[in-house]
Amino acid sequence: MSEILLDVQGLSKHFGGLQAVLDLSFQVRTGEILGVIGPNGSGKTTTFNLITGFYRPDRGHVRFAGQDTTGLRPYDVCARGLVRTFQVAKPFPAISVLRNAMMGTLLRHADPLVAEAKARDVLTLVGLEARAHMEAGSLTTIDQRRLEVARALGTEPRLLLLDETMAGLTLTEVSEAMRLIASLRERGLTVVVVEHVMRAVMNLSDRIVVLNQGTKIAEGKPAEIAANPEVIRAYLGAEYQRA
Amino acid sequence: MAESAATGQSDLAVRGKRVRGLERAIATAAILFVLILPWLLPNPFYVHIVIMMAIFVALGGAWNIIGGYGGQLSLGHAAFFGTGAYVSTLLVNAYNISPWITLWIGGVAALLLSLPIGVICFRLQGPYFTIATIGLAEALRLLVLHYREITNGAQGLTVPFKGNAPLLLQFDSKMPYYYIAVVLAAAVLLITRRMERSRLGHYLVAIGQNQDAAEAVGINSAKAKGQALALSAFLTGVAGVYYAQYTYVIHPDGAFGLGMSIQIALVAIVGGVGTILGPALGAIIMELFVQSTQILFAGQYPGLELMVYGGLLVTVILWRPRGVLPWFESWYRRLVGRAERVSGGTP
Repeated sequence: MSEILLDVQGLSKHFGGLQAVLDLSFQVRTGEILGVIGPNGSGKTTTFNLITGFYRPDRGHVRFAGQDTTGLRPYDVCARGLVRTFQVAKPFPAISVLRNAMMGTLLRHADPLVAEAKARDVLTLVGLEARAHMEAGSLTTIDQRRLEVARALGTEPRLLLLDETMAGLTLTEVSEAMRLIASLRERGLTVVVVEHVMRAVMNLSDRIVVLNQGTKIAEGKPAEIAANPEVIRAYLGAEYQRA
Repeated sequence: MAESAATGQSDLAVRGKRVRGLERAIATAAILFVLILPWLLPNPFYVHIVIMMAIFVALGGAWNIIGGYGGQLSLGHAAFFGTGAYVSTLLVNAYNISPWITLWIGGVAALLLSLPIGVICFRLQGPYFTIATIGLAEALRLLVLHYREITNGAQGLTVPFKGNAPLLLQFDSKMPYYYIAVVLAAAVLLITRRMERSRLGHYLVAIGQNQDAAEAVGINSAKAKGQALALSAFLTGVAGVYYAQYTYVIHPDGAFGLGMSIQIALVAIVGGVGTILGPALGAIIMELFVQSTQILFAGQYPGLELMVYGGLLVTVILWRPRGVLPWFESWYRRLVGRAERVSGGTP
């Protein structure tokens, strides 16, 4: 069994009267792809925000690569090798796609020339090299999401958190995205995907964590999750059982 | 297909080379003009005006690093300007240190002053930084007024005149002052260009466009803004020292006053924030404005200058929020474009 890269223990967060995440614990092992699923509002994005330092948890701890990272600022978390993408892509709209990607690669390469070369590499990886000189704000939503992934990859992370990267993609594009994620794992990256596209999560993930109303209701291999009655009731729906 | 793309590129390269040649010629002409300019002017008063222009190029350029590139509006840069001027003049008077040395000390003093402001304000988003800079300059002005045994209070300080003493940064002609001011202004603009192309320059752009996205990819926005402020404060302090050395007299209301802060900011805002040449253009326009109102109204209406600044600021923000530089750029591009077409006809 490989080592635990990310260890989330008893994480809780409330916003006013809303308990967004409650006593959530799970682990991510080095080299695996972990899927996180659950209905809208079940706390998936909040969990990402808590892990990457955008929110400070009310209770609980996050350990990354053996070190306590609870309460660190997002840039510190990123510098340690844990990076996330946003569900709604946040490009730097008024500069080129290439320069957007450079903002990621500059973290490990202070020389802008080296950073630019590395930025071209990550753009090629996500299939955006032909649009390198377009303004990022004029990209389609889907390309903006590709750019989001490229920029995150540019920081040379050990763990990548992808927040609904595949929402709205066509079947072909989903297959492309799946191939990309699988190839990232082959390069030694560990990946957590929050996703509603069941075909992708079920095929890609080694394990799946299911959230509902801020708590974990199930965890296991895709086949186990697909057969779990509580998951079906809360999220997958009866037709998934028949399928 | 691939072949035509390749020839298209080489066409572009040839055209690029031609434009670069023209640009180099224009730049050379501009530099020569700046170098011979004081000799073309009819009397020392005009030389004084161009010296002030050069000093304000440096000040506006320094402000531009945090105010333009950093996107953080400072209305208290007089704090750094005055700190440079006072620290230097006090050291020159008390210990007879050469202003060539206090130039650096004044800059470092201003830099040190900026550090706590950066650490405190850039953890927050909002108008805190602007308010803090105004407060800082005002607090320093009051401190200088209060400790009059050291600072000579409201009467201010004078630099003792030693005649023509290049080692003490004193000259009996305005010419050396002009050339040193030009070097100072050029240094600030070159440092700006270098900063713009560095990691810090890229990071400031990212932070300006989306701070959350920047932090997500490892950019410490507070640190980047703090670095920009420190660089800006250092250069402002150095320019403050030189200003004191040139004018011989500094007093609290002038050195730390809101009027100075606004004038520094306006130079960059009028010219074009976040551009290398904006402050240069802004300083020329502003100084012409200030001098012509002074000549026209000759101190008849106290406070008129501030009204002129106010009017100018409103005008620029309403009609040219990016400053006047883009105007000049489009005019320049038309010029280059025409030259290109002409030379394109005769290969």
